[in-house]
Amino acid sequence: MDFYKFLLSRILTFILVVFIGITAVFFVPRFLPSDPVEAMIGQMTSKSAFLDPKAVETLRETLNESFGLQGSVLSQYLGFFKRVLLTQDFGPSLANYPAPVNELIGRALPWTMGLLLTSTVISWLIGNAIGLLAGFRKEKPYSKALEAISIALYPIPYYIFALVLIMLFSYIFPVFPLTATFQGAGFTWEHIRSLIINSTLPALSMILVGTGWWVISMKTISSGIAEEDYVHFARLKGVKERKIMSRYVLPNAALPQVTMLALQLGAIFNGALVTEILFGYPGVGTLIYNSILQADYNLIMGTITLSIIAVAGATFVVDFLYPFLDPRVRYK
Amino acid sequence: MRDKAWIVCYLMAIFVLLTACTDSGATQPPAASGGNQEASGSGKMTDVGTPRSETLIVDILSGRSPDPDRMNPYMPGAVAMDSGLHQLIYASMWEIDTVKGEQIPDLAATMPEPLDDTNTKFRFKIQEGLAWSDGVEFTADDVQYTADMLLKTKEIGYSGYFSSLVKSMKAVDKTTIEVETVQPETRLAQKLGVVIWGTSFRVMPKHIWEKEDPTQFKFTDPVGVGPYKLSKRDPQGNWFLYEKREDWQKSDVGKLVGEPGPRYVLFKYFGPEEKRIVAAIQHDMDILQDITPESWEVLRQKNEYAKAWYENFPYADMNDPCERGMSFNASKAPYDNEDVRWALTLLTDIKNVSMATFGGMLRVSPIILPPISVLQETYHKPMKDWLKEFQLSDGYKPFEDTYAKDMVDMLKQQGIKGLPTDSAEMENTFGVGWFKYDPEEATKLLEKAGFKKEGDKWLLPDGSPWKLTINAPANFEVQSMRLAFAVADSWRKNGIDVNVQQMDAATFWDSESTGNFEVGSYWPACGLLPDSTANLQGWNKEYIVPNGQQAPGNRNRWANDRVSGLLEGLNAMEPSDPKVIADITEINKEMVKGMPFIPMFGTSKFVPVDTYYWQGFQNAENEFEGPWWWWSQFKFYTPNYKPSGN
Repeated sequence: MDFYKFLLSRILTFILVVFIGITAVFFVPRFLPSDPVEAMIGQMTSKSAFLDPKAVETLRETLNESFGLQGSVLSQYLGFFKRVLLTQDFGPSLANYPAPVNELIGRALPWTMGLLLTSTVISWLIGNAIGLLAGFRKEKPYSKALEAISIALYPIPYYIFALVLIMLFSYIFPVFPLTATFQGAGFTWEHIRSLIINSTLPALSMILVGTGWWVISMKTISSGIAEEDYVHFARLKGVKERKIMSRYVLPNAALPQVTMLALQLGAIFNGALVTEILFGYPGVGTLIYNSILQADYNLIMGTITLSIIAVAGATFVVDFLYPFLDPRVRYK
Repeated sequence: MRDKAWIVCYLMAIFVLLTACTDSGATQPPAASGGNQEASGSGKMTDVGTPRSETLIVDILSGRSPDPDRMNPYMPGAVAMDSGLHQLIYASMWEIDTVKGEQIPDLAATMPEPLDDTNTKFRFKIQEGLAWSDGVEFTADDVQYTADMLLKTKEIGYSGYFSSLVKSMKAVDKTTIEVETVQPETRLAQKLGVVIWGTSFRVMPKHIWEKEDPTQFKFTDPVGVGPYKLSKRDPQGNWFLYEKREDWQKSDVGKLVGEPGPRYVLFKYFGPEEKRIVAAIQHDMDILQDITPESWEVLRQKNEYAKAWYENFPYADMNDPCERGMSFNASKAPYDNEDVRWALTLLTDIKNVSMATFGGMLRVSPIILPPISVLQETYHKPMKDWLKEFQLSDGYKPFEDTYAKDMVDMLKQQGIKGLPTDSAEMENTFGVGWFKYDPEEATKLLEKAGFKKEGDKWLLPDGSPWKLTINAPANFEVQSMRLAFAVADSWRKNGIDVNVQQMDAATFWDSESTGNFEVGSYWPACGLLPDSTANLQGWNKEYIVPNGQQAPGNRNRWANDRVSGLLEGLNAMEPSDPKVIADITEINKEMVKGMPFIPMFGTSKFVPVDTYYWQGFQNAENEFEGPWWWWSQFKFYTPNYKPSGN
């Protein structure tokens, strides 16, 4: 019975979060002092293109009609909700009219997921392993060295790190390409090879910096747990050090890390803006960035809605996983 | 350990699976294996698989195209036209010769000739012997089809304007077009052809388009009359490879100029400026779009083959058809007062502003038309005497013609070499002169307008502190962005509390259009032809709308009866009428008097080239055209480009 109550409350919370989030995403861009039609006309003007004032007037009218920006904000909101709920259609991208938002997201998402899922999980695994070691055996020289490296890596903004990698491995030692140029298609060796070559530097920049954070957080947690009474008791009982680390310290220290991982995985759908821009990587981050710059309401709504659902979904899943990971937690 | 190895393998598999699901390959197989490698026995290859020595690589100004299959030029979200499409494939009826400052025929063989004295019926011939890139003959039927399609398809953004201009466009025979306009027109070629950058009226192949719905048609495999065809594209929209047509003789450039030099032209987006510069240093990019003076300095030092417009200082090309300055919203107090606008002009220390903006590599302009060579000869120089004699309401003469000499002296002191020595050359490089930096006269004007000075700060006529915000672009249009900060600094030193508000593109333009600004680093002053009637139209008072509403023109909301009258008169005159130049000169005088926009500098473009693989680029010594790599006239440059042998 407790479980069903818990389930119901979590489902309601999930729906409420998504509803409020999507509503905010609909209204916030409309309160911004920018307009997608004006952004498009401005873009033409900034290239010194000549636009007759009469042409501007008629262009504005036509685009407003095509973009569905006529009518009250409320009627646009109702139409949006109906469309999204019934057909999961976010309409056309305004900056890339008439390309459908779903198509643009669908094209960018695998790239973002490929890069971020891999780099997030790898950095989580490596970072937690090193952090555990550094926290549990904090007096060992290698623990101190690993911790020092992590502390040095973590504060470096990843875009700086990315730039350093570019300068090192694309300019001074030109091992990797300066810009991503993908060859081949599907599961051909040519395509896979070009994916690996073009993704190594962006992935590396995220893994190294991400690892630093996991090391520091895991080290702090595990060094605290290593001083707990039950760990001392296990030692006095003669339990082997390796077993104490893997069976006593790790499960307890891993709990907050799992939560953080889940939230980070949810946030994958935001993309990695700077990395994508620096490496010319065609992911969701660039899409969000450009949609905001060009006041592309539909694309903003599409990408952010995806992110809201992903983060809310991740939190939902973590809530259910917790009792399995920590016997002290129950569905009540 | 084995478990960990499995985890790593699993992650790699996920990564490959996810990304391999995307169609990231080129649409056609590459000619050879790519990757910036030395192909055995055949020299370096580009990363798209073409021989580097046969490929001209051009930077894409507009960045990545999220939907690279959409090449219908009448859809607003199509691939950016300056990703090579309008430079190499599509063609216009009339192009522009920016050196002479006149329109030239492209697809049309003649300029429109009026059929009667109503100026509503015209006839022109189109080029004979041209073919679309799929081999089908280009005829007047294609022109008529495009016009009919635009008149019928109201969903197309350009349709509204085209319908307000053209009543009908009929093919009389295979090479003759007759046009009937809605209103009497004196500048039909300017309105349908290229004046600056490109034109919206692009003729489409009837044999392909008539079977499609123009509002949905992607035109994924674009066909044009230009000398190149699309060979490959990046499905992620970062690059487009064009190949010279085998029948290039039947293209517009083939017929009018000759054979294009490069077999391939690769338009590629390299990413942020740092990466573009690295690419140019490594000879991986031949033509660079806008970069900053600082980046040019790095490139110049690292790549001896890199060339800017001038061999020496100021390096940049200064013939861009838009000038930069400070734009006022003349409907908002206190900027609705001409004396206040003039006071701010006289509080602008223009020489230091030039140094702070682009290290002195700028040409000044005291009038509303940009200081490009053609217009300098037509307006700036002839107006010098009038400018010298021009007086403000209190009899003060604000103009001084010593700017060029002063700048040369200032730059010499900084150790800059290669500066012009004779006065004519100085004037051609740095401009005819500007307005004095005179805080004392500015004080008089402000006090006349009711302002008071308290300590070293100015107070508005109502006694509150004078706070002023300048709208400026954030991370785009570097010159305008830096100009805003430099001007703010000059005004701040004179007791005005100035804030620079940087804005992203959408907000920046929306603020100008809706009048949500006091002062802005906008550029409403463009022009290229001596007959700049079309560019000046926006200043007509008929386009003024209240603040809060989006304005089609006259975003400064500056009403001047004489200017509006002169503009209407100009619309009725033939471009060749000698009175055109005289009346535009009068408009310039009115603008100087009213100062709704403080004209400051022409735009200095750092658009260098790398001469390692290709030669024949235009420059100050070989000025067959300007360096307008993002304009539709690019295709006409290509016959001049030859391999260097590297």
